[in-house]
Amino acid sequence: MSEFRTEASHGYSVQFSPFLPQRLACVACQHYGIAGSGSLFILDISTHGLKQVTRRSWGDGLFDVAWSETSERLVLTASGDGRLQLWDVTQPGPPLQVYLGHEREVYSVHWSQTRGENLVASGSWDGSAKVWDVSSSECLFTCRGHEAAVYSSMWSPHIPGCFATSSGDGTLRVWDIKNPSFARLVIPAHTSEVLSCDWCKYDEHLVLTGAVDRSVRGWDLRQARRHVFELHGHDYAIRRLKCSPFQRSVLATCSYDRSVRFWDFAQANPLVQTIEHHSEFVCGLDFNLHIQGQMADCAWDEMVRVYQPACLSPNT
Amino acid sequence: MDRLQVLLRHVSPGNGSLPGKDSMANEIASPMSDSDVVVVHGVQTPIGRAKRGVFKDIMPDEMLSHVMAAVLKATGLPAAKLGDICVGNVLQPGAGVLMARIAQINSGIPESVPIYCVNRQCSSGLQACMNIAGGIRNGSYDIGLACGVESMSHRSVADPQSIGDISAAAFDQDATRDCLLPMGITSENVAERFGVSREKQDAFALASHHKAARATRLHLFQEEIVPMQSSGVLVEEDEGIRPNTTMETLARIPPAFKENGTTTAGNSSQLSDGAAAVLLARRGTANALGLPVLGVLRSFAVLGVPPAVMGIGPAYAIPAALKKCGLSLDDIDIFEVNEAFASQAVYCAEKLGIPPHKLNPNGGAIAIGHPLGCTGTRQVVSLLHELRRRKSRSHGVVSMCIGTGMGAAAVFEYPGH
Repeated sequence: MSEFRTEASHGYSVQFSPFLPQRLACVACQHYGIAGSGSLFILDISTHGLKQVTRRSWGDGLFDVAWSETSERLVLTASGDGRLQLWDVTQPGPPLQVYLGHEREVYSVHWSQTRGENLVASGSWDGSAKVWDVSSSECLFTCRGHEAAVYSSMWSPHIPGCFATSSGDGTLRVWDIKNPSFARLVIPAHTSEVLSCDWCKYDEHLVLTGAVDRSVRGWDLRQARRHVFELHGHDYAIRRLKCSPFQRSVLATCSYDRSVRFWDFAQANPLVQTIEHHSEFVCGLDFNLHIQGQMADCAWDEMVRVYQPACLSPNT
Repeated sequence: MDRLQVLLRHVSPGNGSLPGKDSMANEIASPMSDSDVVVVHGVQTPIGRAKRGVFKDIMPDEMLSHVMAAVLKATGLPAAKLGDICVGNVLQPGAGVLMARIAQINSGIPESVPIYCVNRQCSSGLQACMNIAGGIRNGSYDIGLACGVESMSHRSVADPQSIGDISAAAFDQDATRDCLLPMGITSENVAERFGVSREKQDAFALASHHKAARATRLHLFQEEIVPMQSSGVLVEEDEGIRPNTTMETLARIPPAFKENGTTTAGNSSQLSDGAAAVLLARRGTANALGLPVLGVLRSFAVLGVPPAVMGIGPAYAIPAALKKCGLSLDDIDIFEVNEAFASQAVYCAEKLGIPPHKLNPNGGAIAIGHPLGCTGTRQVVSLLHELRRRKSRSHGVVSMCIGTGMGAAAVFEYPGH
């Protein structure tokens, strides 16, 4: 396992680069994101552990990060002052672009996963999700409907122009940019705030939600009246969930209970492994697309960790 | 701070605090300590109308022993474990110490458990809770019972002997003479000095009745009221609520205390009979005994105000109590401010900027009644049960003005499901 200390900064989100297997981006905030500034760390995994490639600052907390899918140099961050920042990691100094539009904290940013587009989805506490065109720097659509903060906005890896949002209003909504004024689907997923959602990478109809009620639920978009499974194990709210890029029914969750858990919803006992290597809320986690079995996570204890959980090694 | 609020919402404590100390996660999750004073459970009798109502022939010790027995039965706590009992009462001689001891024994609590009474006028019921909390905090005992009871059918504020023995010097200066003012006159003073119109007072009274009637209709009080037998009838609901009150009927009621005044019987609290009881414990002891936590006491403030306008008490006591526990007005989800008179309740709410939907959501003393020594305890019971109905972690305030010029306020936290 390798680790990096985001000095005096409390980690909020982490993502491996889609281009470079050894590279990851992490955003962290001063003062747990409640006040103060934010930092973007670009880190490389080397034989000597995690090394900082560059560090950038922003005047408000940075809550999410998304690598570009078209250029290995570009990365987006989402901040507490309602903006998005586009950074070139090879050029020190201020961001290349700053996107204005959201009226409150932006908690989620995600680059579209399907070919032929250069779109970004953001989710904000102002209750809206926005779709941006990075090449023209404009906000193409504002998707309204959620009745509370939007915590998560994630593009489908299968269906072009389609993304899901999860919100403090307890719903999961699916949007189609061909008709962005109304959500295609509104699913009352939980009776508590839904802090995270993600798409199954092997089943285009399956979306997962993680909520303050400590449960993960799976939703089949073709019949969303009832969840298809529910996972329990965390002791506090689920802060983020990510579906494995390698195994159909595997996912990872991180929680305010300070743990990271791995699940296989195809098994009778779905909780496969619990990792407790943080002493504060764990807010970010990601699977490495290039190295099967490698994970990164970050937490409010200032630690970014890269590791290979036993349950993910290819020979299990 | 808004972001902190969002985070606090996400973290409702599960089965106790996170393991390990000294972490931000722990701070945000639940600033809990074994030495916290917690409310385990609380109940009340229905509140009856004095003199002509359902409990006119019931003695205060009967109402008191009814709630004492009920709260212990509901929690399953063996009564011998109680370290002390404090009963709030105003009108009985000696604040009811003899009556209370008899009630205790009749309720089945062994004579090995001590009991005493407290009188801080309209706040006596809340003061009883604070006294027991104090005994827990100073290590005298781990569990105690706080009660409040009043029979205004049998005793009256206007009884000449209720004044007691005071020297003639009481009449020499305004400040002491003002202590002898009838409460209704202090209400007129507040209405005049701070410009609270008759219409505003009547509208407030109307709202109290409507909210209380709605709560009764929806059976919201079932958790907290323990029905009581009286003259062969089982009384289950508060008697004083008038669901059919209108602005017109209120407008027809003449001023009760002063010619051309604005305070009437319709926009004042009712004279009532009732009792309530609250079981308090040290959190560590509650956990060890497997007792639930209905609420956590976070702070208390009591201070003095000019006797002539005693009704302004909450406007000063509430900010003082909030400051002590580091919360702001916005952090509070429900304010139980005793409706001694609509004039002072309206004044206090407006002065502090309490949003109407947060103020006495299930009605107050104008509709329900104000059995003097019981009220403070009843407000604690009502507040915590309503916070529990709403399920999320939240905070509430209980406050009241106090005759002879004081105000008291306590902040409670409901830990969430």
